[in-house]
Amino acid sequence: MELIGYTCPYIPVEILSATGFRPYCLLHGDYDLMQHGTQYARIDACPLVRANIAYVIENKSNFAALVGTTGCDMSRRMFDILGEHTRIPCYLMHQPRTYNQKIHDDEIDYLIDSLSHLSKRNIMDALTHEIDKWEATRNVFRKYDRARHGEPSTVSSSDFQKAATHYYKGELDTIPDIAKKLSNKPRVYLVGSEVSYESREFLELLEVDLRIVGDFVCGISTFLNISIAERTLSGIKNAYHNQPPCIYRRPNKAFYEHIVKQIAERKCIGVIAFTLDYCDAYEFELKKMENTFGLPLLRIRNDYSSQKTSQLKTRIAAFGEMLCS
Amino acid sequence: MGKYMYRDPEPKKITLDEWSMQFRNIDNKTIKKFIYYNNHDWGIYLQPPATFMLYGARELKRLRLDNSLAALRMWGFVFNESERLFRARQSCKKVIATMGDLGTISIIVMAFPNCVPFYPECIWWTPFFNESTVLLDMASELGAPEAACFSRAALAAFFKKAYFPKADYIFASTGATCDDYSCIMQSIEHLGYDFMWLEVPLRRSPARHDTMNSYVTTKNGSRYPRRFEEYLIHDYIRVWEKMVELTGIDDMDLLTASITKANRVRNLVEKIKRATNQATIAPFPALELMTIEFGNLYGYADMDEWIRILEMIHDTIESRVQEKKGVMTEDAIPIAWVNPTADPYLLNYVEDLGLRVVETEYVINQAIVGIDEQMEPFRALAQSFMQASLIGSTAQRISSINKAMRKGRIEGILITNMLGGSHCAMETKLMERLLKDKPVLAIDVPAPFGITEQIKTRLQAFAEVLHEQRK
Repeated sequence: MELIGYTCPYIPVEILSATGFRPYCLLHGDYDLMQHGTQYARIDACPLVRANIAYVIENKSNFAALVGTTGCDMSRRMFDILGEHTRIPCYLMHQPRTYNQKIHDDEIDYLIDSLSHLSKRNIMDALTHEIDKWEATRNVFRKYDRARHGEPSTVSSSDFQKAATHYYKGELDTIPDIAKKLSNKPRVYLVGSEVSYESREFLELLEVDLRIVGDFVCGISTFLNISIAERTLSGIKNAYHNQPPCIYRRPNKAFYEHIVKQIAERKCIGVIAFTLDYCDAYEFELKKMENTFGLPLLRIRNDYSSQKTSQLKTRIAAFGEMLCS
Repeated sequence: MGKYMYRDPEPKKITLDEWSMQFRNIDNKTIKKFIYYNNHDWGIYLQPPATFMLYGARELKRLRLDNSLAALRMWGFVFNESERLFRARQSCKKVIATMGDLGTISIIVMAFPNCVPFYPECIWWTPFFNESTVLLDMASELGAPEAACFSRAALAAFFKKAYFPKADYIFASTGATCDDYSCIMQSIEHLGYDFMWLEVPLRRSPARHDTMNSYVTTKNGSRYPRRFEEYLIHDYIRVWEKMVELTGIDDMDLLTASITKANRVRNLVEKIKRATNQATIAPFPALELMTIEFGNLYGYADMDEWIRILEMIHDTIESRVQEKKGVMTEDAIPIAWVNPTADPYLLNYVEDLGLRVVETEYVINQAIVGIDEQMEPFRALAQSFMQASLIGSTAQRISSINKAMRKGRIEGILITNMLGGSHCAMETKLMERLLKDKPVLAIDVPAPFGITEQIKTRLQAFAEVLHEQRK
């Protein structure tokens, strides 16, 4: 047992890592796992959640604990299912949907208390070291991100995501260098549901005709929004609470403000809105996005499978042509 | 004869035509007795159900309704709600939309004189009663995905401005509960409405080694950290302050009185449910009983009249139980029903198959449980809300059904889902596993006109299994 699984960008990896276990973000989207997952949740459950359930059950001996939040209803209810089918200790935090920081802070305290008991370690003692370690890693990725949105862009998002999987899997010692790949393709911003560890092909497909120079997608670069200014528990709480809000925060005005700002700063001329099947959070907001971003927007909805690849290629190519013209 | 110049016939479920015939026997004096907002000029609401069919509730022609005066009164009142809300506005009452919490914020709003709360999500029945996809189509045009809860009809209703008056204010609860409605509320806010967002906490059971939290144990045995109550109280105070700002009234005694009134409703409904479920013969139909349960949310926008209606229903049921009379045969098979059905027809249909609903989990447990009147009012409200259906685990949610199953009080479980509904997608298989000792059927309630032969066949097969099992 070496892993501590987690689901949400509001869960501080520094605290998970201080347990001595390796933080492992549950970002699985393999087709077979999804199919296996339908034994535990209906077919209209989020594909990511279904795949994650199957992954954890298939690999339960690797997990010392699982940590989740109420950030998304399906993801939260995954812990009910995992609690029934495995004996892995599960810790569910109430992640406020409003902007009540007291709840967030109290829940971080609860997490530390719970994980201290689990790991029998003094988490507080290890925090400064963990903050330095993770912040240094984020700084490496910030450098790549600057290259990604430079003019011209010299790092592709598909390569960025591939390297970022090491961050999400807690493999900080094996993060590869990202090779430069200059691109003058139309600059687009990617926003939407989580991409999975297996999504590299999908991102490569997008970048055949486009260059993704920024994103607000769990699984790519949202972890860069965490910047811990004060190397203390309070610094962690503030950094995680004050990150640009998840689309589920209510009201979600600040989410839009952040994206609009990023789109302008990164000189994007188009937007890709990616939604997973049954992901209400983004499905409901597509109209609002079209109206708010004021840029051509390509909607892509899928379930991580490659069934629609040919159709998708054509749509992406047409979108690229439109942006060029 | 009793209080009215009218005697109920032998209990049974009847068609609209039969109700229209029967309505002729009701004298004018009785008709004029039943009024909302205590207004004799325009508050009369007793009508033959066919009237509501003509006004749009076309599904009524397919339904069969209980033939008691109490049920007629209930339907008249319930179908009159839209008119009542517009009347409230015309008569200078404040109309307050309370969304997402299903049953608690409305009690705070009702504490303020001349303030009427309502739950826009309850409009999810309208497309089905109206046999119309107008609201659902409009919701799609406004961006709601088709695979989402039918409460998306509320988004269209806010846009169309024809189903209820523009609310003076909106309280919207989000958090550890259904995502679909959270998204719908956000879409409504995007239309330009002014909201106050409130946090719905998680009901988390204690961790084995939790040393930092003190826990509260509810009457049904579930536990949660006490500080979660404090979050609710913090938000309830915000609601109170906003209402004080809107009305200029600040009297906590009114909140105490409002809680007492809410408890009166909850107690009556509890008595109705107990009397119905324990009776040898089902004294009242499941469709009417579901409508009664949902009245706990806000008394269909006139709590005082709703209490009087419940009292009458209770009397009717009591008398039927005493006389051992009812609307089904004695051999009807008791089942539990999980999730309210958006399509009322299913409740009728299941009874036609000889199944009797005796246990329900309609996602509104927070509106069913009693509120402690000895406690500080906001804390009492918080404690009752912490027993909400959707904020805890699936096992907690179906604990009463599990209990009924173990006691042999139910012989099967029917789960009615919505395709894409966040909790439906995740809970169903787990429920099936947790309730595996009895036959469980889970079906997706389709959009209006969608009840196909396939769905009917599945229900018939379920009923056959239960009948066969009994043999």
